[in-house]
Amino acid sequence: MISRALVAAGLAVLKVVSSVGTYAYLGSRKSKVAAPPQNPTAATPSPTAFNLPGTLFMTQAGAIYSFSAGRFHQVTPLNSGWTQLAPYPGGRLLAVKRSLMYSDVYVLNRLGRVLRKLTNNNVAPRNYDPAARHWSFYPRLSANSKNLFMSYDKPKFGFDVPMSIWSVPLGGTINQGRLWSVAIDYTGGDIQPLPLRSGGLVYTKYSYGPDCSGLESQVWYTAQPEQSYGGGRVCAPPDGGNHGRALTLPNEGCQQPSLSPDGRSMAMICNYRTQVSYLNLASWTGSRLGPRRTVIKNQLVAQPTWAPDGSGIAYLAPSVMGQGFQLWFLPKAAYAPPAPSPVPVPTPTPGGPVNGPVPSPSASPTPAPVVIKPIQMTNDLGLDATSPIVWIP
Amino acid sequence: MAVIAVALSSAAGGFAYFLPAIQEAYDATNVVDIPSPTPTPLNSIGPTAKPSPRTPGAFTVLLLGSDNDTKFIGDQVLTQSMILVRFNPSTKKVVMLSIPRDLWVPLSVGGIGKIDGAYSYGGAGAAIATVENNFGIHIDAYIWIGLAGLVNVINAIGGIDVVTTAPVFDDFYPYDVGPGNPYRYLRVAVMAGPQHLDGTHALEYVRSRHNDLQSDFGRSARQQQVLLALRAKAAAISAADVPQLAAAMKGQIKTNMSLSRIAALLPLAGSIDIRNIQQVVLLPPYTHGCGCPQGYVVPVWGAILPLVHQYFP
Repeated sequence: MISRALVAAGLAVLKVVSSVGTYAYLGSRKSKVAAPPQNPTAATPSPTAFNLPGTLFMTQAGAIYSFSAGRFHQVTPLNSGWTQLAPYPGGRLLAVKRSLMYSDVYVLNRLGRVLRKLTNNNVAPRNYDPAARHWSFYPRLSANSKNLFMSYDKPKFGFDVPMSIWSVPLGGTINQGRLWSVAIDYTGGDIQPLPLRSGGLVYTKYSYGPDCSGLESQVWYTAQPEQSYGGGRVCAPPDGGNHGRALTLPNEGCQQPSLSPDGRSMAMICNYRTQVSYLNLASWTGSRLGPRRTVIKNQLVAQPTWAPDGSGIAYLAPSVMGQGFQLWFLPKAAYAPPAPSPVPVPTPTPGGPVNGPVPSPSASPTPAPVVIKPIQMTNDLGLDATSPIVWIP
Repeated sequence: MAVIAVALSSAAGGFAYFLPAIQEAYDATNVVDIPSPTPTPLNSIGPTAKPSPRTPGAFTVLLLGSDNDTKFIGDQVLTQSMILVRFNPSTKKVVMLSIPRDLWVPLSVGGIGKIDGAYSYGGAGAAIATVENNFGIHIDAYIWIGLAGLVNVINAIGGIDVVTTAPVFDDFYPYDVGPGNPYRYLRVAVMAGPQHLDGTHALEYVRSRHNDLQSDFGRSARQQQVLLALRAKAAAISAADVPQLAAAMKGQIKTNMSLSRIAALLPLAGSIDIRNIQQVVLLPPYTHGCGCPQGYVVPVWGAILPLVHQYFP
């Protein structure tokens, strides 16, 4: 006969196990919404299923990572403020290092070593005026590699801090720089410069639109530094003349222009006043855009970047809304499918004319078009969607 | 006997798991005293609003957001953000209407003032009564959240995805969340375009108004964007996440909603199609500036009330 003590002890153990087990079970049922993104170098599964040519550089949590041969390598330490990369000759990088109150542009080698500091936006620590500091964002090198183009918060007027596009001689100061764009007050200004081989400039301009009703982004083109609007606040800039020219409509909400390696196509994202973004492509003549064509419309697309060999477009987007941005690749066949096979034509029958109807070629069944989908390259990362991707051969 | 013991101890384990959430719900839940009878408006600027009959099942929540840093004493805070949200479970439609913080209205506690002062004079009850009296609607519940509360909630759900309307730059953003002198300034730079925002950067995005031509109206539109992003995240939250969320909100959220209503709201919020969410901001011609040093916003009730009664029948 089992003693009462043994029964009591058994019940006690059972109660402890069931209560702790229930607690642990509930804990295991938590969703993954708050799971921190994985470090790209430790991400599983390893993104080796599909190799992209060359090396891609991108940022996450203030660190720069390279991605080549299907593997990530950490280039700079975590939480060190690195963001907004751009290519620099010799396989090097331009990058912004962001601090709490200012940011500066640097040249780094592909191993993450700082080679040169190109801006100086901080002031003496004893200067407590926040407005004395400056931001430099979206650096790009001119086609001849002699000038640094960037978004820079000058001029600014008290509470009104718009970014303008500046070009500065490499190694020079902002005082030697040239103001290229005239920002609209209280919009955030002009960002994402894309200097052209022709000497012109494409960038993203923010304005309140023709009816002054709401903030809109437009891809803008100017062949030369823009002229001032000549006093008075404007909601939307004059379109044309010495003020540059809009390449997209206000209600398209386009930004992040990216030029193809052959210079004949432009990729951009447009959000059409919604909380999603579309990847659009258009032909580019050097000063004018052709009709837009949407190639991705069901994702939160950011930072489209052309492969140097023209084999496709890399971009960032979450795989699940709200769960961090991943690297994706859209093969060229998805947006430039191969030309269809020629339609068969009747072959003349040797031996002269025939009596009766001429046989027509039998229509072979048309093969269903193959839908090429974008390829998700990473899982569970939290890549910085405000930082352009650099892709070098 | 063993079965009973296992059932009881399992229930105890579950109770222990949800205890922090229950405690936080108890702490956050307030019985709201809505001032009654309502003081008569002192002059003609008051609307002639009458509460309209309620739609069965639909309910309206008043969302209140306040700067509650150490510059303020206790609950005497202004409500910089006031958003009316109406859920209609039968049609699965939602309307969000932002009330300008500087709207010049008769206050339920007496006198006329900016609507953001109602809460500081009489708490949530006064804020609710002021909105009900002026807009002629019935409010079923309120949720108040402080600065750190918003940051913590967004961090607790792992951040949100937003397409920011424009880059936000502010050289004089209040540096008042956290320890230290709350009168310092911070330089803020929120980039443009699609991005993942953590709590701190989301707060910067919805709170900054210096570099926006539309000032509080522009900020209201940004606040609605962040609410939509939170809604998208709500679909992925499970009941097991509740204790962690409750811990994140500790002391930074107040409501008169019951746990059962919150539990019913979460899946509903996540299931609503974004195309069924109507966003309203009371820009001109619904309001206009006063052209005066106090900088208040004058309501045009003849335009506002038909709009409100259209969306809040």
